[in-house]
Amino acid sequence: MALVSAPLGKKTVCTASRVHALSVAAAGTRVRDVTDLKQTMITSLPRLRRFARTLARSIPEADELVQEACLKALKSADQWDASQPLDRWLFRIVRNTWYSELRKRQVRLGEGQIPAEESDELIETATGEALAIAGDLRRAVDALPSELSSALLIVSVEGYSYAEAAELLDVPIGTVMSRIHRARKLLAGRLAETGEDQA
Amino acid sequence: MTDMSEKLSAYLDGELSADEAATIDAALASDPDLMRELESLLAADTLARDSFQAMVEEPVPLALASTIRNADTVAAPPPQRSWTGIAAAAAVACFVIGGAAGFFVGQSETGSSPGWLASIADYHGVYAAQGRHLVEVPAEEADHIQTWLTATIGADVRIPDLSAEGLRFQGARLVVAAGKPVAQLMYTDGNGRVVALCQIGTAAPQDGFATTTLNGFDMVSWGGREANFVVIGDEGRPDLVTIAEIAAAQV
Repeated sequence: MALVSAPLGKKTVCTASRVHALSVAAAGTRVRDVTDLKQTMITSLPRLRRFARTLARSIPEADELVQEACLKALKSADQWDASQPLDRWLFRIVRNTWYSELRKRQVRLGEGQIPAEESDELIETATGEALAIAGDLRRAVDALPSELSSALLIVSVEGYSYAEAAELLDVPIGTVMSRIHRARKLLAGRLAETGEDQA
Repeated sequence: MTDMSEKLSAYLDGELSADEAATIDAALASDPDLMRELESLLAADTLARDSFQAMVEEPVPLALASTIRNADTVAAPPPQRSWTGIAAAAAVACFVIGGAAGFFVGQSETGSSPGWLASIADYHGVYAAQGRHLVEVPAEEADHIQTWLTATIGADVRIPDLSAEGLRFQGARLVVAAGKPVAQLMYTDGNGRVVALCQIGTAAPQDGFATTTLNGFDMVSWGGREANFVVIGDEGRPDLVTIAEIAAAQV
């Protein structure tokens, strides 16, 4: 909700040619790649935000995560193997950025974690409460424990194999399978409850 | 049964070997409970896909796209910031438009009132959803629109051609914001999404361009001859700044 002013004074005008010159000076022939990278990244933002939302629990936090991850990716653009799908690389950076943040928080708060695949309930977070109020089943996905919803998204929607998801999420294949199944069982339970409520 | 249950998910995802899949097929044929469980997993999957599809259709904040577009890719890594500070940093961006020119977006002024823009955002929320009743006076009466609105708002109203950005002029409305009449020119893109150009007369036009997001709409505003202008569209529209530049050159 920021309102930003934008004086068009000569000293503050930033032209494309200036950015281009800076990029050429430092990145040589890779400038075209970086430009493409940015554009592809922007095109991928809806999917990156969605993945981030399975990790962070709020939209503002997910947006901050995506921004931080994209800026990191741009800083390390030379590490991107262009023969690999860009989204896989970006998902990985989003995931690593999030877990790095999470570790800091856990150190700060001294919290431990229960393995998500052992979770037997949906999380009644702010969105979970909204779920109860609105009766909106689609919000049940928001209420899944983070590790479950990210695994389900990556495999069931993004189309990754269990092996690819395991690499991306940095967990064993068996854990991927358990998490996806647990996610589906929790959602199925919610569907069943709703059916009973309506009966 | 737990093993079999978990394998149902792997079965759905095509992750079982041919032998394992055949075992599941046989079990499903003879075990109605297992079949019901598979059906419940399928229903859960459908729910998840619908939910995730809805998420991906949500508009992306303009600030996020702008920050990436204008990020420095060659200097030292960004300084460590607190997570709560990142959003504020997003407000500091350097727009680079079409490879030709751009404009600098300065420091956030989160404390200032958006004034007439808040009303414009409200109007857009109402009228952009009107479909057949989008406008008060249709585009066919363009001459009348210009005469009528120029006389009403006290500033020269022109209808810019935004077809270069795929926008078609649909007509106009007269609305009121901050107690003053506002000309609202409505355009639609190929997907039927509405972009409006609004103009309000003022003796002290805004200095330079500004972007803001209000009520789920992105806005790019600027000052012109005895008037302030704003282009408003869906939050996350990547072309809004370009549209504003093209409009600004014609009004």
